[in-house]
Amino acid sequence: MNQFSKILLLFTIAILLVWQLPWCYAFLTTKAGPNRFVMYSSLLDDFIVTEYDKDKGSIRRDLAGNQYTTEQTDSLLPAFFMRQLVADERFPDSIMGVPVSPKEIQMTSFNFRTRPSAINTPQTGIYFLLESMPSRVDLDMPDDAFRFNRKGIEFVNMETNTVNEEKSRKFTQMLSDKGFRFPPKEVSGNPTTMKEYDNGYLLIDADGNLFHMKQTRGLPYVKALPVPVGIKPAHVFITEFRDRKMLGLLTDTNHRLYAIMADGSIALTGVPGYNPEQDEITIFGNMFDWTVRIASPENIVYYGIKASDFSLLKQYEIPSENTEIPGLSFTSPYDQYVRPRI
Amino acid sequence: MTKAIFYKEWLKLRWYFLLAFIVSNGMVAYCMLRIDRAIELKGAAHIWEVMVLKNVTFIDLLQYVPLITGIIAALVQFIPEMQRKCLKLTLHLPCSQQKMTVAMLATGVTVLFGCYLANLLIAVSYLPGVLPYELTRNILSAAAPWYLSGFAGYLFTAWICLEPTWKRRILNAAVAAITLRVYFLGVVPQSYNDFLPYLLVYTILLTTLSFISIRRFKAGRQD
Repeated sequence: MNQFSKILLLFTIAILLVWQLPWCYAFLTTKAGPNRFVMYSSLLDDFIVTEYDKDKGSIRRDLAGNQYTTEQTDSLLPAFFMRQLVADERFPDSIMGVPVSPKEIQMTSFNFRTRPSAINTPQTGIYFLLESMPSRVDLDMPDDAFRFNRKGIEFVNMETNTVNEEKSRKFTQMLSDKGFRFPPKEVSGNPTTMKEYDNGYLLIDADGNLFHMKQTRGLPYVKALPVPVGIKPAHVFITEFRDRKMLGLLTDTNHRLYAIMADGSIALTGVPGYNPEQDEITIFGNMFDWTVRIASPENIVYYGIKASDFSLLKQYEIPSENTEIPGLSFTSPYDQYVRPRI
Repeated sequence: MTKAIFYKEWLKLRWYFLLAFIVSNGMVAYCMLRIDRAIELKGAAHIWEVMVLKNVTFIDLLQYVPLITGIIAALVQFIPEMQRKCLKLTLHLPCSQQKMTVAMLATGVTVLFGCYLANLLIAVSYLPGVLPYELTRNILSAAAPWYLSGFAGYLFTAWICLEPTWKRRILNAAVAAITLRVYFLGVVPQSYNDFLPYLLVYTILLTTLSFISIRRFKAGRQD
């Protein structure tokens, strides 16, 4: 036993050293990464890279090395800098031959971002379903919450903490009628009143099929979204963008990214690889193009995507400046679990 | 003999047990009352929303309570032992040195377990009435590593107190402080779920650290 206690102490000290020494080194030596902002410009058919240099200030250039002034950059990215162009009275009547107004640009522009830690996190299993056709203009949070179990969906009145049997039965029945198999593998919604409309939830059921569920006038609305043959849905994200053209984004087990359109159709995007469990995605979209930034542990890749058919226009890759020192860690930026990992 | 050791340690800890029992249960009751008042003032729906969407557990005040109660329990139990050189007498009793060490530590662990069990009973007698089991599980899972740190804090402090030299005590305290950090790394409820069984086993094994101090004490190590 005496020998064991010594081994335990040495083991503890060894663990603390491989945990704390790399952390201390990183803490003392980590420098800020380059301040870089990249956007795809359909007008230029190239990426515009804005970098900050200590001596020269902000430098805006395309991948060929041509430099641009702030005003030129505003004009080359009219959807992104729409407010500045309007303020300077420089907003054009048309962009790439398409007549546009600031209002249209505002309605069709969006940004979307999700990190691996948002996926690799413990799930509470309690969700809130807003009324998607509220009688008033503003959205309200519901007075019940729901959970899934093996038999169906259960709505629980939050004030009384009791199950609303009638509502639960209606939703379970509707989901079952549409071929939904409980419990779902993934549930994606955005339960907040800080948005213009509510589109409920996108669900991947126990069989891996895709469904859209929302509440309209207190009644269930469920639609099965047929997935093209060969696609096995892995992760789904509801988007609720202003222009209402899309329901959400979908990834499959081969890490391909799809757009789920409002009519339920699914379109493959030109993004060749996105694994939500490892990569961070940021999308700046407008009516002409999307700039998709995918940051993985190895590199950061920017994709210019055509908004009309999601085809790939251009890509730009930068190696990741990951200066992580190998060592033991109990937490990770990629998940929210505490456990030892190298 | 073991019974006598238990009784001797209980005599040292009984008033502290009463104090720790009252304070820790008072803190838990206060946290439950906070949830109750928040429900009364903001409505249950608001409380459910912040708990689900913002990972709020309403028991943040409890975070270091088990650790502090564990550390003080060991101080109360072992500082008099070392100051009055009682340990020397204890070690001369006709009983296995390790058995007596385990008996002493077991008394402290049992006292802490009594406090923590009462804390748990207060929480589970209130929470399921106002919250679904998922949110009750969130609260209890967030508290689990904190309570485990109470036992770890007790066992580490016993190891430090029983150590005869100050140099080694400081080193032990540094190891203990950094190790105890592992129990407080979670930022969301249930983040320790997979790791907790391993942490529990490690915490139990910490009992054996005191054997090193006892052996050094018996060997007459001095600064």
